Amino acid sequence: MHMPAQSSAKGPFEPWYKYGVAFLSFEMAVAIAVSAYSLFMTFHGLGGFPGKH
Amino acid sequence: MKTHKVEQLVIATMGFFWCFLMWFSTAAFSPSIAAHYHLSIKALGLLASSAIWMAPVGRVVAGWASDRFGAPRTFAVILTVCGLVSIASAFTQDYSLLFAERVIVAIAGVSFVVGIQHVAQWFNADEIGTAEGLYAGTGNVGAGMGALVLPRLFGTDYHTAFLWLGLIALVVAAWYLLRGRAARNAEQIALTRRRSDFRSTAFVWSRYIAVALMLAYAMSFGLEIAMNAWLPGYFTHGFHGAILALGFSSVAGLQIAAGTFAAVESFCASLFRPFSGFMSDLFQRNGWTPLPFIARTLPYAPRLHWLGIALILITLAMGGLTFAGMTGSLHASVLTLVALGVFISFGTGGTFALVPLLFPDRPGTAAGFIGGISTAAGIIYPLVFSASTNIHMGYLTVALYMFVPFILFYFWAARHERRPEEHGIFTEALAVEKA
Repeated sequence: MHMPAQSSAKGPFEPWYKYGVAFLSFEMAVAIAVSAYSLFMTFHGLGGFPGKH
Repeated sequence: MKTHKVEQLVIATMGFFWCFLMWFSTAAFSPSIAAHYHLSIKALGLLASSAIWMAPVGRVVAGWASDRFGAPRTFAVILTVCGLVSIASAFTQDYSLLFAERVIVAIAGVSFVVGIQHVAQWFNADEIGTAEGLYAGTGNVGAGMGALVLPRLFGTDYHTAFLWLGLIALVVAAWYLLRGRAARNAEQIALTRRRSDFRSTAFVWSRYIAVALMLAYAMSFGLEIAMNAWLPGYFTHGFHGAILALGFSSVAGLQIAAGTFAAVESFCASLFRPFSGFMSDLFQRNGWTPLPFIARTLPYAPRLHWLGIALILITLAMGGLTFAGMTGSLHASVLTLVALGVFISFGTGGTFALVPLLFPDRPGTAAGFIGGISTAAGIIYPLVFSASTNIHMGYLTVALYMFVPFILFYFWAARHERRPEEHGIFTEALAVEKA
């Protein structure tokens, strides 16, 4: 059996999808914030990644 | 029992998160264990490396088992076995026995492919990238949480930590069994079970597109785990003077700085992974097929193009790492490394947005092959890096002599406009429909 061909028509996503996108956006924001903080600390000789102080 | 696919996604993600927490809990307490048993550097290295020993073969078996017995049962067995052995290790006083027990607990790392199979059985083709990305990316955070949270919660008392990790694993296992459902309907469960025989497994392993995806995952996740092991030493040796100039003068300070650069790369690779799945969905939804040679009319062709872009970006970033290293610029090297972490997430998320669509009847077997064998790359790359005469040249060597051929093979395997999974060796002999 093969997956049925997907329609290229842009139908609406199911309701859960927007919450999923919101959560992944939050995860990206955390990654950017923690990375920026860690690199700032390290490049100023103040510490490092959380847990490596 | 009424359930919803989001509930199944949450259960799979929690199970995976806890398994990854257990998987890396040994590493989080390795200084305490080393101090307690007076371990040598060599013994400590052996303990650290033991975490990935079981992954290549274990993931293959776990993937097959999830097709055969269903993800909830397979996941519950993994959680229960690892949980019980973790509890036992909390009371162990002999180091040899403790080492053996922690190797068994490290089996928890094979659970990744079981959850991939579980999510694949529940979500639609147009949302599979985001669903798999949320599962894998969020679950992966468990590894980082182990390093960040466990030592703060338990200090040096690894016995209590192993006890609680094991006890909670048993609770998660019971939850998985009670609320987890293998697929949306009985027909899908029966079909997947029928396709879990040896012939079907050999079919997946012999498909060119499966091998191409396995190499793609070796270029992304394999590189991620290789860099975790390699980067602290690379920065300590390759940028010794630059790190000293930042004000880190002691050995511990050098470790903090070098470890931070490595951790940031790994952190980005995990937390951007759901975004990559979303991008795969976006490519699919908009029908974007910008690359030459790769199929354009397949139902999932845009996802193939997104993964192709990710692989090219990873290769370019590897060349960039060598260039930045040769210039001696620590800042340029770290920024390139952050970009590499994001590109790696594009590769990992892009790969598993495709696997369930290419092998819809064998998602566990395919995930086991692609997610399992590729982890061996985590052992190979550091060997190549360290063999280079110049410490910065290893990245370019891997990019030119491994990644470029991998990408060419991917383009070649993904060029078919109809049923790329039919192309491989022994196709006639392994055709399940005729068996």
